[in-house]
Amino acid sequence: MTVVDTGLAAEYAAIYAYSAAAVHLDGDPRWIAEELEAEHRSRRDALLDFYDEHGLEAAPSLAGYDIEPIADAAGAQRLLLAVETNVTTAWRAGVASTEPRDREICLRMYGDAAVALARWRIAVGESAADPWPGRPE
Amino acid sequence: MFTTRRGLLVGAAVLTAAGCTRETAHIITSDADLTAALRTARTLAAAGDALGYGDFAEDHRTHAATLERLLKPNVVAEEIGELPADAAALAEAESAGSKEAGDACLSTDSDYAVVLGEIAACRAAHAAVLA
Repeated sequence: MTVVDTGLAAEYAAIYAYSAAAVHLDGDPRWIAEELEAEHRSRRDALLDFYDEHGLEAAPSLAGYDIEPIADAAGAQRLLLAVETNVTTAWRAGVASTEPRDREICLRMYGDAAVALARWRIAVGESAADPWPGRPE
Repeated sequence: MFTTRRGLLVGAAVLTAAGCTRETAHIITSDADLTAALRTARTLAAAGDALGYGDFAEDHRTHAATLERLLKPNVVAEEIGELPADAAALAEAESAGSKEAGDACLSTDSDYAVVLGEIAACRAAHAAVLA
């Protein structure tokens, strides 16, 4: 499994989580969640194009992903914060690749993921500041 | 023959005592990418403070402290250039700083690709929030 495979899997899982969580949200968090879900879908499509361009085979998304049960808006917000953090962490790890092609796409995806993480933090009332986005604690 | 060998041994002893043996020189050079990232981090930190974005300024100070540590024993002099005048200009400066660190991340063959990538991602997030 390559670093790009890992990132693509994280994007698939994010799309699944957003589709389950967004319905529990209202107001600003709801529309921001819808925008971020669309961004994950765009990133997935860009990644599938990357696989095509390089003659690689992309793994398909799974039928389901293991997510925490969502009881209310607070639970949905927590889940999506964890999802954005996971996606950012996955792409950050790919930047260490010594394969230039992989490092380049991982860096691009990592920057986009860090932006999404910052936007979601603001949406749920947290500071967007984070010197090392996605760095495991 | 005896004299020549003795002369050789004495000469070798003198050279060794004088520090003229063939020890490999270890020249410590400053990493240009890290140096550039440090200068930008300092400027962005000062700009964030001046414009009331203290939490973002703190991110840049964290970067600066890390970069100073990685660059040791080299020391990069403090030189703060002209600061952005408002939030829009700061967003542009953050974006430019992100590109600078991102380009360095892609071109470096050192072990610093991840830290440069992290700095690029952080600055990109700041730029997006400020825009």
